[in-house]
Amino acid sequence: MTTPRTVIVTGGSRGLGEGIVQHFLDAGDRVATCARSETDAVRAWQADPAYADRFLFRKADLADREQSTQFGKDVIAEWKSVDVLVNNAGVARDGILALFSDDDSDTVIDLNLKATIHLTKQVVRNMLAHGGGRIVNISSITGLTGYRGLSVYGATKAALDGFTRGLARELGSRKITVNSVASGYLKTEMSHGLDDAQLNQIVRRTPAGRLGEPDDIARAIAFLVDERNDWITGQVLVVDGGLTA
Amino acid sequence: MNEIEPRIVTIVTELLERSDREETTVSLAATLHGDDGLALDSLETAELSAILEDEFGNDPFGAGLLPETVADIVAFYADATAASA
Repeated sequence: MTTPRTVIVTGGSRGLGEGIVQHFLDAGDRVATCARSETDAVRAWQADPAYADRFLFRKADLADREQSTQFGKDVIAEWKSVDVLVNNAGVARDGILALFSDDDSDTVIDLNLKATIHLTKQVVRNMLAHGGGRIVNISSITGLTGYRGLSVYGATKAALDGFTRGLARELGSRKITVNSVASGYLKTEMSHGLDDAQLNQIVRRTPAGRLGEPDDIARAIAFLVDERNDWITGQVLVVDGGLTA
Repeated sequence: MNEIEPRIVTIVTELLERSDREETTVSLAATLHGDDGLALDSLETAELSAILEDEFGNDPFGAGLLPETVADIVAFYADATAASA
């Protein structure tokens, strides 16, 4: 097998992030992740001898810059260089804007956008020093099409796509690719404010006839971070079962 | 100072080699930017900053300074060494 890559997946303790972490662990990579709390999935990875020396978890709130910086430092201290960064950490708050609290806006923007930019800067510096890397930002089709009640969340995801394009132009000459995966609606997002009626409607309108699974997204990420795929950068890959086709 | 100086010169030289500018001679007096010096662009400056941080744990750019010459970078680490002695 080839040398394991060092992969950072933010927000990897549950839901989509958990699926992405598992995918990279299954591929034999070293995976570091962080979340505000430890979950059963994290405890299982920590206890599994198959992942000894290949899994690192830090309890951290990425919206807190000190904690975010320390997480990045811990990964670099442990494994020296970062090959892949998957910016997955995010939070959704639903509600129409006219009734939306400013605190909720701040929470969504601070984590989804500002925290992503902060950690990415730290990792990009490491990638520049070590000669390359792969970055994938997890965005959302809500940033492309809009969704009633998710305007702030969608705005942060659209901003991430803009961040992807600008950063790709900055770093393309340094063997660093930057792409977005715009995820469709996943089963894991049931807690993101969509009720059963909304989810059933989404399924009816989705050509693939189902909601997505974390591994649907993880496989797209694996494609984008494949070291052979160095000619794909600055793109938004929509993975949504055809909903936005 | 004597230990730091060759390390800095090597780092800058290797950075220029990455950009296929290995013919450029790096001296202490060389200016980092401008056509009469090493002509580092903004991305190369960021790379230099990142490599210095990776090597030494901090760097003058990250400290908010704007070194103009290779000697300025050497002085940053020499001053830090002297301060911690």
